[in-house]
Amino acid sequence: MIRRDSLYRRLLTWLLLPLLALGGLMVLQAWLDARRTADRAHDRLLEAATLAIAEQVQWQDDRLWLDLPPAALEMLATDAEERVFYALYDARGRFVTGNAELPGDPRGGAPGDAALLYRDIDWGEMTLRQGVRRSRLEDWQQRERFEIRVAHTREGRERLAAELLRANLAYILGMAALAVVVLLLAIRGALAPLTRLRRAIRARDPRTLAPLDLPLPRELAELRETLNELLARMRRVRANQERFIGDASHQLRTPLAGLSARAELALRQDEPERWREALEAIRATGTRISRLAVQLLSLTRLNNPEYHPEMGRVDLNDLAREAVRTHWASCHRDGIDLGVETAAGALTVEGLDWQLEEALGNLIDNARRYGARRITVRTRPSPPTLEVEDDGPGIPASRRLLMLRPFHRGSDDQEGSGLGLAIVDGIARTHGVRLSLDDGVDGRGLLVRLRFQEAAS
Amino acid sequence: MIRLLIVMLCWLLVASVHAEERLDYPARSDGGEATALVVHGALDPIHVRPLLEAFHRRHPGIALTYRNLGTLTLHRRFLEHPEEADVLLSSAMPWHYRLANDGHARPLDTATADAWPARARWRRELFAFTFEPVVMVVRRELVERYGRPESHADLLALLERHADALRGRVVTYDPARSGAGYTYAIAESRLSPRYWDLVAALGEADAALADTTGEMLSGLSEGRYWVGYNLLGSYARAVVEADPALAMVIPDDYALVTRRLALMPRGAPHPETARRFLDFLIGEAGQRVIAERTALGALHPALTGPGTANALRESHGEALRPLSLGPGLLATLDDLKRQALLARWRREFARGSEGLPPP
Repeated sequence: MIRRDSLYRRLLTWLLLPLLALGGLMVLQAWLDARRTADRAHDRLLEAATLAIAEQVQWQDDRLWLDLPPAALEMLATDAEERVFYALYDARGRFVTGNAELPGDPRGGAPGDAALLYRDIDWGEMTLRQGVRRSRLEDWQQRERFEIRVAHTREGRERLAAELLRANLAYILGMAALAVVVLLLAIRGALAPLTRLRRAIRARDPRTLAPLDLPLPRELAELRETLNELLARMRRVRANQERFIGDASHQLRTPLAGLSARAELALRQDEPERWREALEAIRATGTRISRLAVQLLSLTRLNNPEYHPEMGRVDLNDLAREAVRTHWASCHRDGIDLGVETAAGALTVEGLDWQLEEALGNLIDNARRYGARRITVRTRPSPPTLEVEDDGPGIPASRRLLMLRPFHRGSDDQEGSGLGLAIVDGIARTHGVRLSLDDGVDGRGLLVRLRFQEAAS
Repeated sequence: MIRLLIVMLCWLLVASVHAEERLDYPARSDGGEATALVVHGALDPIHVRPLLEAFHRRHPGIALTYRNLGTLTLHRRFLEHPEEADVLLSSAMPWHYRLANDGHARPLDTATADAWPARARWRRELFAFTFEPVVMVVRRELVERYGRPESHADLLALLERHADALRGRVVTYDPARSGAGYTYAIAESRLSPRYWDLVAALGEADAALADTTGEMLSGLSEGRYWVGYNLLGSYARAVVEADPALAMVIPDDYALVTRRLALMPRGAPHPETARRFLDFLIGEAGQRVIAERTALGALHPALTGPGTANALRESHGEALRPLSLGPGLLATLDDLKRQALLARWRREFARGSEGLPPP
């Protein structure tokens, strides 16, 4: 299994890397410290040895004289059997005695009471630690200056430094190991609530939409609240669906019951004329039921959020004229004046022609059903707008929003399904069109307006 | 017996004039390995020959050349031609120590080197491989008249009490001309300030000053001297054993012990054979040869019996003062120190000979 990205690994990386860098720094520091400590300890030997030699420098036979104390050299040799070098130089930098001509003090002609100089020098193939002491004779007359230079190899220092470093290293490594263990435990502990949340979600019954209820740290509690909000929305959606299904079955049941009652009534009679009447009534009811079924179907489709139909180009003028042509005959039969007013030029929008046709049909049908005498289908440019106006009773402003919900209708209407405006609303939403309900001309009737967005190009 | 003695004295005399002698052991080619080994030593053939023979028997494939040089010649020749010799053997401890201190020696990294006593080596570069006490040799005449001096104190008392009788009958090293004499003088002066009384007493007795142990031994054998002070025990032993008139005294208050040193130069032309030779020299086999077939005294801690350091320690344990193998030897080489010591030595010696009473 490839763990490309994991919180655990991210945390581990970003905590361990700085820790590692810090550890490296500590090791470096420990090494420098060990070296410095070793040097300080051994430089004391250089100091003591130069002092012991300086004490033996005298003025004799008109020259500097040294009775070299062997102990001074033994001191420099230490346990590490260092190689030892010494030399005595006079005030003018001339070699007086010694076993090696060691380099002098680079600080120049400073006075004789200057502090001791310690430094590392390269001597042939060896690296030596050198100590230089400047001093002067404290004789009765003589105040001759001189310089003692001693040097020894660094092996003892390096051994001591290595020892110190080893001790420090063990300590640092121990700390590092402890830190890593604590880090691992801490990360694991911090990520544990995430695992709990995952388990809680996985363990749920897939049908319940009850909110999650488990104690979580703040960061995850936010996630839990978000999840709970989502669940609440789903609960509302489901309640809507259940109500819709209930309404729909109720709507279908009433005409079907009427259908079966009419058939029963007809069967009790013998005249064929009655049968014919009954059959005609049954046919009319059947038509209404099938229309209701079609409307339910399209509403379900429109309400499906996954439904994204391929849009085509539609001319609203053509659409309006076609709708009027389709419904003109039935309106004329009922004595309703159906007219069309189109804007000049083409009004092309993005849309589905059959849906828009259905919306127009529904609106015309509604107006007709609610007792309008005059219906006008109108188009306007910029923005492209489709209007259906009637002179019927209209809808009070307070109830207009309710009318958009399925199965709501005017109280005195028995024929309509109550789905017409809901379907128009669904189509409007599918097209991203603003639907508005207004009073008609002179405050009478209803003006339904579908305002399209300006078509691109 | 006398003939042998004369031959031996000749060896010693020859050694004392530092003539170059060579011993060659050509390679027998049956071994297949045709390597060479060049040893430069300040060690007379009579002592070194058994060692070289034993090594050659073990490694017949190695063509072995030994050059016998004086200590100073050996030192100078090495500094001039550092790539000439594979192993340097010398009795001049300070000079050899200085070579190692200056980084001229190659370390020997064998198990034998590790096992070698720490006090008998410096790092792994410088190895002491003999154990030679510095002794007094007395003649029968002296013992019969004044008894046998067993210590420095005895000798001092003897010299002070019988200065006139012993005038010209005492011999010792001249520290100004002999490196060994100087080394002993500086070591003894560090041991006790009474050494200067002894020097004054020697001066009072008009002691003869010799350059070498050989010179002193021949004078003692001939009867010119009755007592010799500070002779190299390893050289004296054979002569004393051959001459019933002589007796060797290892002083029981303190006896200096000098140790010969061996090192491998960094520029050795045959480092592998050099390693093998040095390993042999401080190994049990080589040390056994030293113990049994030379008078040098074997240092190996595992060896006991005559001719070993362990035997000497058993009989004179408290008194033995080996010259320590440390940077103190460098102080010995300091020019000013040398001048100061020799000046003092001369002063004390002259004070005695002028007959002034010691302060």
